[in-house]
Parts: sequence; structure tokens; C-alpha cells
Amino acid sequence: MSKLTLIEITQDEIDLDALLSRITSVNTGAAAIFTGLVRGFTQNGRQNVTEYLEYEAYQPMAEEIMKQVAEEIRIKWPDVEGIALVQRVGRLFPQTPTVMIACSAAHRNTGVFEAARYGIDRLKEIVPVWKKEVGPNGEAWVEGEHFHEIRK
Amino acid sequence: MNVKVLLFATLRDRAGSKFLELEIPDAMNVGDLKHRIATDFPTLRESMNSVLVAINREYAFDEGLIPVNAEIAMFPPVSGG
Repeated sequence: MSKLTLIEITQDEIDLDALLSRITSVNTGAAAIFTGLVRGFTQNGRQNVTEYLEYEAYQPMAEEIMKQVAEEIRIKWPDVEGIALVQRVGRLFPQTPTVMIACSAAHRNTGVFEAARYGIDRLKEIVPVWKKEVGPNGEAWVEGEHFHEIRK
Repeated sequence: MNVKVLLFATLRDRAGSKFLELEIPDAMNVGDLKHRIATDFPTLRESMNSVLVAINREYAFDEGLIPVNAEIAMFPPVSGG
């Protein structure tokens, strides 16, 4: 089958079913899907409340780097067939999916789980997207942790 | 030459603008541009310590030269997902 790569930065709701159907075919027997959501309550010593997250992207570069991540997945897991990398931007409230990585293949033991995991990890390291957290005590940009991974 | 530097996230907030415009010498490298911005735009001085730079939508490093008519962007470490 043709190997379809779907890359998207979107303001619109992420439709997991629709995206999955776009990266599957009659040859597909497995798909691993990761989605990240806005967490409204975070326990880390004290409870932190998030009213919403405001996402922004440097869109043309983000799309280029997402394509690069998909290419990296294809090199590492050549049996993966369809790849979808979707990042939603804009104002997103708790329980809303913000990102989706899906990898499909003929069988589950082709690396689809690892490929989806790699996709989200890499996206968080190098794709130029940022989020600002807004809560009852004001707003703050979430600082990225990955400065040195860029040179990889 | 005249360059425009796109700013995102914390850098845009600190500069109060989506971009900077400045006159730089030909064949300036990224490290020198960061130094220049730290000097000319005090609100961005601290940001220059951990800034990421992209030229023509690819990551660029201190030793990289800035080509003519480049699309230059500066932003903090990413936090998407």
C-alpha cells in the first residue's frame, strides 16, 4: 500500500476517528494512537488548576519539522504504513485533545506502539509550538525543557 | 542588510512585538545576531541565553551565517504536545 503521512496544525477539533480512517487501508491490521489532553488539575506537591491552555505555533516551520519526525519514524520502523501527526492550536480547555500521533501497520508487532511514542516525544522536543497556561492565579508560558536536543 | 526577526511566545511578549527589524552587517553569524539583540533590546537580553533560532524554517546555531533575504525566527524552547 502507499505510505500516507498526514501532518496538520489546526484550530479545529481533532477528530480521532476521521484521522484514523485516513491512515488505514484494507491492508491495515493495527494502529497505535496517542492523544494528549489538557489537564485541568495537576498534583505536584500542591494542586495547580488550569482553566485553559493557549497554544501557538510557528506554523510553516512546525509543519516542516513534523514532516521530519515522520521521516525519522519511517527510517526506524519501516513496516509502519500510515502516520498522522496533528497538533491543535488556540484556546483549549481541560479534557480537550491537543495533539494526536497515530501509526498504522499490517500487524501490531511492527513497531507501531514505539513509533507513536517516539512521535510524541520528538514533537515535544523539536516542533516549534508553545503553550501558555491560564489559571485562577494568572497566566504563564510553559517553559520547554528541551534546549540541547535540537542539535541531535 | 536589513533583517526582520520573527518572535514567538515569551519573546514576543517581552518585546511587545511580533517581530524586530534591524540593520546588520553582511555575513553576520547567529551568535553575533543574538549578542546584538541582547544589546539593542534590553527586554530580550535574558531570553538570548536559551533562545532557539531558525533560519528559513530550519534550526540554526551560533556559527551559522545569516543569508540574504533569510526568514529568521527566534523563540524559547518548545512546549507543544
